[in-house]
Amino acid sequence: MVDKAFETLQSYDWGDDRGALQPIDDALVATQHHAAGRKDLEDRLIAVLQSNATRNGKDFVCRKLKVIGTEASVPALAAMLSDANHTHMARYALESMPSAAAGRALREALPKLTGDARVGVIGSLGVRQDESCVAALASLLGDEDGLTAISAARALAAIRTAEAAKALASAKPHRAAPRAIADASLACAETLLAAGNKIAALAIYKRLSKYDPPKLVKIAATRGMLACAAK
Amino acid sequence: MNQAHKKPSRRTFMQTAGTVVAAPYVLTSSALGRSDRAPASDRIVMGGIGIGNMGNGDQEQFFTRGDVQYVASSDVRKGVRETAKAKVDAHYANSDCQLYNDFRELIARDDIDAVHIATPDHWHAIMVIEACRAGKDVYCQKPETRTLREGPLMVEAARRYARIVSGGSQRVLEDYHNVVDPCWNGELGEIRSINVNVGPLSQPCNLPAEDPPDDIDWDLWLGPAPWAPYNSKRCDGNFGTNGGSWRSYIDYSGGGMTDWGAHHFGGATFAIDVREMQPKQIIYNDTAEGKYLTYKYPNGRLLYHNRPGKGHMEVEGTPDEKREAKPIPTYKGTGGIYGDFIECVKTREKPFRDIELAVNSVTVSHLGIIAYTLERSLNWNADTQRFSRDDEANRYLDRARREPWQL
Repeated sequence: MVDKAFETLQSYDWGDDRGALQPIDDALVATQHHAAGRKDLEDRLIAVLQSNATRNGKDFVCRKLKVIGTEASVPALAAMLSDANHTHMARYALESMPSAAAGRALREALPKLTGDARVGVIGSLGVRQDESCVAALASLLGDEDGLTAISAARALAAIRTAEAAKALASAKPHRAAPRAIADASLACAETLLAAGNKIAALAIYKRLSKYDPPKLVKIAATRGMLACAAK
Repeated sequence: MNQAHKKPSRRTFMQTAGTVVAAPYVLTSSALGRSDRAPASDRIVMGGIGIGNMGNGDQEQFFTRGDVQYVASSDVRKGVRETAKAKVDAHYANSDCQLYNDFRELIARDDIDAVHIATPDHWHAIMVIEACRAGKDVYCQKPETRTLREGPLMVEAARRYARIVSGGSQRVLEDYHNVVDPCWNGELGEIRSINVNVGPLSQPCNLPAEDPPDDIDWDLWLGPAPWAPYNSKRCDGNFGTNGGSWRSYIDYSGGGMTDWGAHHFGGATFAIDVREMQPKQIIYNDTAEGKYLTYKYPNGRLLYHNRPGKGHMEVEGTPDEKREAKPIPTYKGTGGIYGDFIECVKTREKPFRDIELAVNSVTVSHLGIIAYTLERSLNWNADTQRFSRDDEANRYLDRARREPWQL
């Protein structure tokens, strides 16, 4: 049954019977506590990614690797990041993996990618709160592609460490990014304040208030300063 | 000409501005207000995003209010947009309602105070957060979130920019009086538990490719969801959850568990007064009578899901030991949940289904889906918004969004 399901993946297309793949779903549940069985399944899923299976077949595999993928899956997924048809589903698996190798693969892909694929990887690094990529993200705040710059700001907002806040403060941003940078700075300040770092938070709020920001940001920064005073 | 709003050129803008300056200024009854209509300066200027099906009803609830000026609609379907415009324009007897394919253009308008959102669920978080960043107050249909990670980010955006953000389940307050009232007025004594029967979970979608109609922007309909070919059932907005609508499918919805779950869990957590917290433990029970969940709250109260032998919204208490009655929270203003939102936009109070409370109730649905999927119990840390020492469950906190979408 499982063998037949893996065979089906090679030509699996939209409109085909989803039930034909159920044996793979069942095997994943059945091997929940059997490491060897899981390893075997993961190896077979990886082999599909490295084959000429259809896009939909590979999408199915990425959905499964999101749930069970280990370091062993990372090279096959990383190889898909530059492919416009597969980059999202590769991240779909990599973004959720606790493996450090998954984060490393996303970081290493960053300088090699452009356009939407790079924007996607930036977002995934943010979701993973990968502190080690703060400098790389900071360098993208002034990227000539406005969407890349905005995405980098959003990712730094998700990481929201003191280092992320510093990177945002010293950015020479793309003209499309100041609002995203202000929003990200506010996020950092909120987290710093919640962690008891009132001085760092206050510095961010004061900086944001200084340069005639949009009214919404100014109000948020003023409220932040009041919150610092109350702490 | 396509009714989607075209950004005016600088030349067009200057011509329009000149016309306005040259025209005599006439104060109309509409501008001054009538007995049923607030003066223009007191009206909340609104737009709608996702205005088919549920959004269509929401739109009507808002534009028929005398204290709302409804000026814009956004939908990825041209036909839906045009139908919406016809209704709004007929109501105001003008042709002012502007249409947008892309919600970001509507949100970018400085003259709009508030938006209502009724897109498929996979869009909610992005739109709510973007609207807050743009300074809009938001009424968002339930279920407000599609993943656990989205909820706190929506609350955070609302609080950061001091926005009024209301969830959109009218049933929480309006449908369960027979359960809520005896709990709050002390009749049932010390409340121990409540049971909710709801389902099903959503399913994977593998519908065949169809030719998309000319009037839909399919890529924008999918947005952050995985790419898939157009199929009319994949994007149908009907309220079923058995395969003929987007509500049936994992990429866009949690199925009945989140769709009706937002109502039922919202009502149940309201009844037993745990709306302001999240469960700390979800116990997966696999019995001869069936599978069910027991959610344990930090205050000891229990919420069951599909417990065999229990009725829907059945409460366990100590009716022999009555308790003192507590005032039951309710809507502000007039006009149900819509009026509650508009009143709060004016007063800046929190609405009945404030986004934080909405997120808490939909979190119950998401936690349950993960427990059923993994077929085991879970420990949820509401402070960190993660499962405790549980890498496997933490993989379900969120899903990578299709580029270029990001929260």
